[in-house]
Amino acid sequence: MYRDHVDLIYRYAHRLCGETESAKDLVQETFLNAYQGLKDFRGEAQVSTWLYTIASRACIRMRRKRKGEPEHELSLEEFVPTSEGEFRLQIPIDGLSPEEALQNKELRQALDQAIDKLPQKYRMALVLRDMEGLSAKEVGTIMGLNERAVKSRLHRARLFVRRELSARGITHHDDHKSGGLRS
Amino acid sequence: MTKKKTSAPKKRSGPSSHRHTHAQGHCADLLRQLSAYIDDELPSDICREIRRHLGACANCEVFIASLQHTVTLCRHRPAPQLTSVDRMNMRRAILDAANAR
Repeated sequence: MYRDHVDLIYRYAHRLCGETESAKDLVQETFLNAYQGLKDFRGEAQVSTWLYTIASRACIRMRRKRKGEPEHELSLEEFVPTSEGEFRLQIPIDGLSPEEALQNKELRQALDQAIDKLPQKYRMALVLRDMEGLSAKEVGTIMGLNERAVKSRLHRARLFVRRELSARGITHHDDHKSGGLRS
Repeated sequence: MTKKKTSAPKKRSGPSSHRHTHAQGHCADLLRQLSAYIDDELPSDICREIRRHLGACANCEVFIASLQHTVTLCRHRPAPQLTSVDRMNMRRAILDAANAR
């Protein structure tokens, strides 16, 4: 189980935690909990879904221990632009493939920071759905939510990241031509 | 996972200089449904209505393009990978911790 899933869980952990050491801690905690709970696993869900669920719960526990502060809710109203300028903020990737756009270090960092700034329950929905590529139903199983709640959190998370990215005023760079910007 | 196209929403014909109060009415309603629209989860009649609105509202068209770009970037953001040494060290640490509990 470890050999088959460690890369998957590390990728998820890194996306949730935003940095290497915390991600490794989360992976270890996840597999430790999985081994201890293995006798109760009935195979009703895929092993990967079960591990995502354990990792998500472990992440919530670890973060609560570190921060101890309640998370704030994102309301839809806060994302309704109130001026023409806010409406028309753009993200400069027109004409580039996503891979080319992400070679712009400033854009890559802005994206990572925006995701990191998301309250955890919104970040988890965004990471599972848009980055890990799971269905809303699978995300609901992992987070213990119905699909409607998953979609609501996902929408707010996307609007948050969009606002953070576009407000940074990132301009086109030729970084992808010079290379060497991957983290 | 449903793979989505990376380009901005399709261009539509129609005027784009339509002016109205964006925080109210159609624009605000549209913003509530944009993710479902991007994910192709809305019934066809609502999609048609949204397309009609986007064709008449340049601001909403720019907004949805930027939201689509956001989703595209998230979907393509590569994650760092573990080295084989990391994999081995973590496995050892997990086994040690399991034995210690």
